[in-house]
Amino acid sequence: MKTEIRNYYSAVFEQEWPAWLAGILIAIIALMIFLWQSPWGIAAGYHNWGDWFYYLVGAYDERPLNSWLHPVSLSDAGILIGAFASALMARQFKIRPAPKLEYAKGLVGGILMGSGAAMAKGCNVGGFFSAVAMMSAGGFAMMIGLGAGAWVGLRYLLWEMEHLPSQAVYSKPKDETTSKAVDWLKIQPYLGGLVAIGVIVVFYVYAFFDKTQLGGWLFFGFLIGLIMHRSRFCFVRAFRDPFMTGEAKMVKAVAISIVIYFAGASVIKWAYLQEPAMGVYHPFALGCSIGGFIFGIGMLLAGGCASSTLWRVGEGQTKLMVTLVTFTLANSLTSKFLLVSGLGEKLGKDIFLPDALTWQITVPLVLAFFLAWVLVAMWNEETEKFVVF
Amino acid sequence: MDLENIQSNSVVDTRGLTCPMPLLKTKKALKGMASGEILEILGTDPGSKKDLPDFGNKGRNQFVGMLDASEGHTRYFIKKG
Repeated sequence: MKTEIRNYYSAVFEQEWPAWLAGILIAIIALMIFLWQSPWGIAAGYHNWGDWFYYLVGAYDERPLNSWLHPVSLSDAGILIGAFASALMARQFKIRPAPKLEYAKGLVGGILMGSGAAMAKGCNVGGFFSAVAMMSAGGFAMMIGLGAGAWVGLRYLLWEMEHLPSQAVYSKPKDETTSKAVDWLKIQPYLGGLVAIGVIVVFYVYAFFDKTQLGGWLFFGFLIGLIMHRSRFCFVRAFRDPFMTGEAKMVKAVAISIVIYFAGASVIKWAYLQEPAMGVYHPFALGCSIGGFIFGIGMLLAGGCASSTLWRVGEGQTKLMVTLVTFTLANSLTSKFLLVSGLGEKLGKDIFLPDALTWQITVPLVLAFFLAWVLVAMWNEETEKFVVF
Repeated sequence: MDLENIQSNSVVDTRGLTCPMPLLKTKKALKGMASGEILEILGTDPGSKKDLPDFGNKGRNQFVGMLDASEGHTRYFIKKG
């Protein structure tokens, strides 16, 4: 029995989950979040953290909402903690240093993603994943921008390989600490279990203070972080791989996820279980397409988008810690600039597709669009027509 | 194949680099190699443990295997097809 339990533990917490399974699970949780309160996003939490920085240094006058009372801030924290728990349970948590050039790319990538997300009023999740599921035209504009940005970002990485070779970073474990390192590996799964229990306890604390809805955001975020880390689910790859290796695996996984999320959201909205236009606030088409393009370049430089930055920080990647900081600061500042200057209003307006096209056309059109995306990616996987080197 | 004593024709060091750099450097290195030659990749990115075997078996190439080194990194071997 001990061996059987060990095998189950290994299958769930040590071996990598298939991307398609993660896509299905993420769609289900995203639908739960939508029913729980509102559509899932990530950049709004970063925005809140950035607002706090500028408020504390005296740059902003208005006091932001407390981060522990901000739904998206809580789900972002949940994703990070979920990935941290998952990394511990898999004995994979480690502070991972990177070469100097990688830190510079993480820094610039964070600035680009933060600025792009401010222009598009959402990141790869709120501006693309949830936006298309909510039938916001802006989600499709951002998708095109993300693809173009990924292509440009990849061209830069290829140039960098030729002209700016990175020095490898490697630290040999010291002999005298070997025994301690072994002990650390052994206790990691127990620490991971304690972190998971801690999140459940915090949820009950929120419920005790009549803040169950907020506690739920933390818990849902925790589940998403765990799933994303276990499967290494990465939106960047859906846009990058068709140009880099031709691989279509992540395109299929993201498309499956979107179709399920979209189908569920359609039922919920069409049946008026939630306000039909909920989650539709993206500036179509200029803000979303340009913002998506800038975001796309940034995610290639950083090696992570808004969601994968969080889960990679959770497993100890120091480069993405730099990205997390610059993303939050750039997002808050750019959002403030767009608001104060009035430029934000000139970037476009929100369009709810069923209002423009009717429900009867929107539903099959969106499904056909994502089916076409998968078919083109599969064709490209065979022919490598879009592969750039 | 005995991975401990395998003779590689070329080595790519990606230690400290994260996705997608290990894959990009591997792809570039393979382009410059002759059929039948072995490329060794040194890496620390956890994602490479899935990415490199998948990529290594793409087309005519063959992923030979991987080995966790005592120094804390992983050694991957791909045979150019």
